[in-house]
Amino acid sequence: MNSRERFFAVLAGETPDMVPVVPVLDGYFAPKVIGRGNDECWLDDSCLAQALAAAQKAFGYDGAVAEMGLGRHPNLLGCRVEVKGNQVPLVVETLIEDAGDLAKIAVPDPWQEGKLEPVRRLARQLGSGIAILGSVRSAFEYAASVRGLVDFFTDFYRNPQLARDLIRACLPATLAVGRALAQAGADAIVIKDSFASTSMISPDHYREFAFPAEVEAVAELKQMAPVILHICRNSLPILPEMARTGAAVLEIDSPVDLVQARQAVGGKVVLKGNIDAVSVMEKGSRADVERAVETAMKAAKAGGRFILSTGDSIPSSAPAENVAALVEFGRKYGKY
Amino acid sequence: MGLLDRFKQALVAGDAEAAAGLAGEVAARDTYSAGRILAALSSAMEEVGAKYETGEYFIPEMLRSAAAVEAALQVLDPYLFERRPDHAGVVVMGTVRGDVHNIGKNIIVSALRAAGYRVYDLGVNVSAAKFVAKVKEVNADLLLLSAFTTSTKQALMDVISALGEAGLRGRVKVVSGGAAHSPELAREVGVDAFAGDVKSTLAACRELMGGA
Repeated sequence: MNSRERFFAVLAGETPDMVPVVPVLDGYFAPKVIGRGNDECWLDDSCLAQALAAAQKAFGYDGAVAEMGLGRHPNLLGCRVEVKGNQVPLVVETLIEDAGDLAKIAVPDPWQEGKLEPVRRLARQLGSGIAILGSVRSAFEYAASVRGLVDFFTDFYRNPQLARDLIRACLPATLAVGRALAQAGADAIVIKDSFASTSMISPDHYREFAFPAEVEAVAELKQMAPVILHICRNSLPILPEMARTGAAVLEIDSPVDLVQARQAVGGKVVLKGNIDAVSVMEKGSRADVERAVETAMKAAKAGGRFILSTGDSIPSSAPAENVAALVEFGRKYGKY
Repeated sequence: MGLLDRFKQALVAGDAEAAAGLAGEVAARDTYSAGRILAALSSAMEEVGAKYETGEYFIPEMLRSAAAVEAALQVLDPYLFERRPDHAGVVVMGTVRGDVHNIGKNIIVSALRAAGYRVYDLGVNVSAAKFVAKVKEVNADLLLLSAFTTSTKQALMDVISALGEAGLRGRVKVVSGGAAHSPELAREVGVDAFAGDVKSTLAACRELMGGA
């Protein structure tokens, strides 16, 4: 059974030979595998594709993230972005001041300027034996980027209609990028909805603002590829809704207990998680990684429908030894 | 319920309009000292912080209360100055270079203003040179550095070393905080105190200013 078969066996509800290991290893960590800086790859899709492919080859995990550079997403929607060193891309000028600006949000063409060509190359380079996970931002997350997070959250009380309209206006961008990723060769589409976490907003606000757009995006994109819904930090109170979106896989983070997560979502949805990207992968030792992997496997391996992963992006400063250890111990404890 | 209690309740509920209206009533009465008014404002923000810690409030609710504090302070500022021209201390605050997260910073700025500090908010993605220039210009007692992402350690160290080079490190106390922080990182970087939430920030500032 190769990596891709292992991944799809889990999605089909079958028991593979072992639990697939598919960390969230993306534009934060991958550039250093090829000795490049984040700033070089976050606005250069060819550099990023090369880094993502090299990282998969170096560590041998079962599924590779394929994405546009981090700086590309807000940029795609018309925001001015600044990238410096290994710092997260900064949106230096937001787009939306009031409802009158909503028309500024155009449906982007992700193929323009070759932004997705590298994803296609990545898929080709890794061959058909590796699962390719195309990553896109949710409409909720795009809305936060173009409005600015403080104003966006403040709108929930001050101007909820603007927040709703803005999310709706951003939905075509999520759909366009998601569709294009599938066309470029992605085996699954990851919808990242980090700001919808109940570490940030209440479950009621999640249901009011984030959930409806998730439902629409999943319904549309799953016609092209299975959808993985990512919400990092705490998502336990909203897991039943996340499962109801129709996503095939829920990517959950370390604050959520895997046993409780399984109880919350029932037996049909695949869970992907939940090794702590910071305390274990970045700051922990090899022994910490082993302990965390063993704990996750004990909690979620039985019965299948589990993919071992980090709960969030592995930071650029995480030691490569810990990524190797994640795969090594994933294999050791993941056998069925 | 007394006027100050109603005022505090409006702040905790994040009702900016009611808070501003009640602030006007508070200001109109001579019976309230500046100290009592500031205590009401400050305890409201501490209560908001506590509600966040216990999962009753989330970030939008904290932002709503911070906005209510700002609305109340717009009304109260001239009266507070009239009744107590001094202040709890001069604070310069900002999010360090390479980081644009402003939620935590904005909430802390409001809490500090509510506690009677004169706060200069430099915004986000602030260079070490800009922090140093402002500390010098306003003769700050405290410098508060906010950092959300894990990649900001170098930016924090740059501020500390720039303060040293400008001969200001002995004159200003530095507090760091934010999601990316830990007491260990704060020690490593060389700040005077680490604060993880509203309550601990206010406590750290009080202590560094020589209060209880």
